[in-house]
Amino acid sequence: MAMGSSRALLILSNFKFKPTVSFSSSSSSSKSFPSFIRNNFRTRNFSAETSSSLQPPDLPRLAETARISLAPNEVEEFAPKIRQVVGWFGQLQAVDLDNVEPAIRADTEGDNLREDVPETFENKEALIASVPSYKEPYIKVPKVLNKE
Amino acid sequence: MTVGRLLSLKVSVFLSSVPVSVHKQTGRILHVRNGVLYCTMKSSQSQTATQEKQQPPKVKVPQHALKKTVDKITRDYEAIIGIETHVQLSTLTKAFCSCPYNYGSQPNTSICPICMGLPGALPVLNSKVIEFAVKLGLALNCKLSLNSKFDRKQYFYPDLPKGYQISQFDIPIATGGYVDLDLPLEFGGGHRKFGITRVHMEEDAGKLLHSGNGAQVDLNRAGVPLLEIVSEPDMRTGIEAAEYAAELQRVVRYLGISNGNMQEGSLRCDVNVSIRPIGQSEFGTKVEIKNLNSFSSINRAIDFEISRQALLLSEGQGDQIVQETRLWEEGAQKTITMRKKEGLSDYRYFPEPDLPEVILTQEYVDSILKSLPELPEMKRRRYENMGLSMQDVLFLANDMNVAEYFDETLSSGADLKLAANWIMGDIAAYMKNEKLSINEIKLTPKELAELIASIKGGTISGKIGKEILFELLAKGGTVKGLIEEKDLVQIVDPVEIGKIIDKVISENPKQLEQYRGGKTKLQGFFAGQVMKLSKGKANPGLLNKILLEKLNAKN
Repeated sequence: MAMGSSRALLILSNFKFKPTVSFSSSSSSSKSFPSFIRNNFRTRNFSAETSSSLQPPDLPRLAETARISLAPNEVEEFAPKIRQVVGWFGQLQAVDLDNVEPAIRADTEGDNLREDVPETFENKEALIASVPSYKEPYIKVPKVLNKE
Repeated sequence: MTVGRLLSLKVSVFLSSVPVSVHKQTGRILHVRNGVLYCTMKSSQSQTATQEKQQPPKVKVPQHALKKTVDKITRDYEAIIGIETHVQLSTLTKAFCSCPYNYGSQPNTSICPICMGLPGALPVLNSKVIEFAVKLGLALNCKLSLNSKFDRKQYFYPDLPKGYQISQFDIPIATGGYVDLDLPLEFGGGHRKFGITRVHMEEDAGKLLHSGNGAQVDLNRAGVPLLEIVSEPDMRTGIEAAEYAAELQRVVRYLGISNGNMQEGSLRCDVNVSIRPIGQSEFGTKVEIKNLNSFSSINRAIDFEISRQALLLSEGQGDQIVQETRLWEEGAQKTITMRKKEGLSDYRYFPEPDLPEVILTQEYVDSILKSLPELPEMKRRRYENMGLSMQDVLFLANDMNVAEYFDETLSSGADLKLAANWIMGDIAAYMKNEKLSINEIKLTPKELAELIASIKGGTISGKIGKEILFELLAKGGTVKGLIEEKDLVQIVDPVEIGKIIDKVISENPKQLEQYRGGKTKLQGFFAGQVMKLSKGKANPGLLNKILLEKLNAKN
């Protein structure tokens, strides 16, 4: 890859995850917290520099959760590429954030709200027509046993 | 048997011909045949060879002893209960699009590209959702986050059009609150305070109905705004949990943000239960229970689950308690395992890029705080301070409309206790019979106050009052009008009453003779006749006083 892959690897080895907000994990939400965050969790106020490298993504699991099918050779081919992309973003870790206030979101504009006034969508027939399998009045779907 | 021996007996129970692993298979703990419990008693002391060869003796234990046995076991454990509640908001439109939402409409008629998750459609937040969320956060005594955001909770399921649910993950709009409530007297009463961990905004999924070898999806409900309320694990019994849920219903109804109906699905509760031996600091394994459709099922499901876990632990089978989701089966009155999931869900939360930050100003929050109605807890305390009994307080403050009616009756000058009694007694009975809410009865609070005053002042008798109540409830009208129309004014002139009594006595010489001969019970007969003649208007107290004088007079 043209983008200094050796440099990406260097950055990758120093990768520290620094989320910008702290929170207490409640009983219900902690179980769904991705494992790499759980392992490397740091709050803004915690300035100790223990480095822990980011685990390379488990590509088969990633593909499974995204419902994308990958052949074994594709897994082999994509894994390093994905690692490189993550590493490329990892350059952001080099920025000194000590004097920067944590931001909740990246945008500067505030709310974009609408009034609570009902409006019927005009062309509902087109919406229904675009449903692959429709048996009036329901959308037909295959039987799914488990929620993911 | 000595007491010591009795205490060391381990009670193990099983169906007469089925091995001990019955708990997992049927979930049934105790077997009752012909109303009699069969259980086996096994001594925990080492058995002799002869004992091992023999079957342990079967003992018939009646059903009340069964409950006692279960109680005895559960008493050694402390239950830790937390509840997650989803409140469906009664906004006119969905959370992120302008589709209307009406419960019970024809499937897939309230849809648009946004709530169907079609490519290119973007969500726009309904301002009412923020307003309702702030109202609820304040009512639950929470700290509001003036800045919060939305996140995507990603998973695949047929009723989730976008493949993710827009929710709030790490920065909810409200945190750290509590509810105060009073337990009903029939369950021992008492005041409780339960913590609220967080309140956040999110959207509902569509409805998935299983049919045959496939399933069907209705997206009318997809995108409807929800508020999720997570409690601290502060509840300890089924009744505490049920009352917590009831209080949430009261609060959302008082606030007017939801009709909080468990049967309709506008109030949904999932309960988490774990138990630990008393004194232990580590929590036990947490079990989630779903499919609770009423407050009483919350109560019963939790009590069942506590018993199930306690029995397993007491028999050294604690490893049978696994972290899982169980369903409450209303018919069988037990919890059963759902299909076990492999591993935990990874929702891959990240900030929703299509929605800006939610920013609240302190002025906005203050204006909403000022606009809040008197909440259930404040009302209960106010009624208590006025001198009403706890029973009256709980009844009158339960339904906001009843409380308002009561308050209006009082402000029209009615006596406190009398107003409470009329509303809780005859009026409540009428509403129940006719299946009406207090807003639908024709008797106005002002007229109720008038009725109470008329009786208290002696204008009409209590009996007459009750009679015209029915007409006032059904047809309305004024008390004064009815009194005049039907000539109901009570007769309190002793001379006039005397005249009527004289007439009755003169018309019933035989009874008079019998009375004077010793049959004093006939006073009731005379009183009835006087009442009849006076068309019920004679003042009962005066009537009996004068009647007695005349009956006992010597000629």
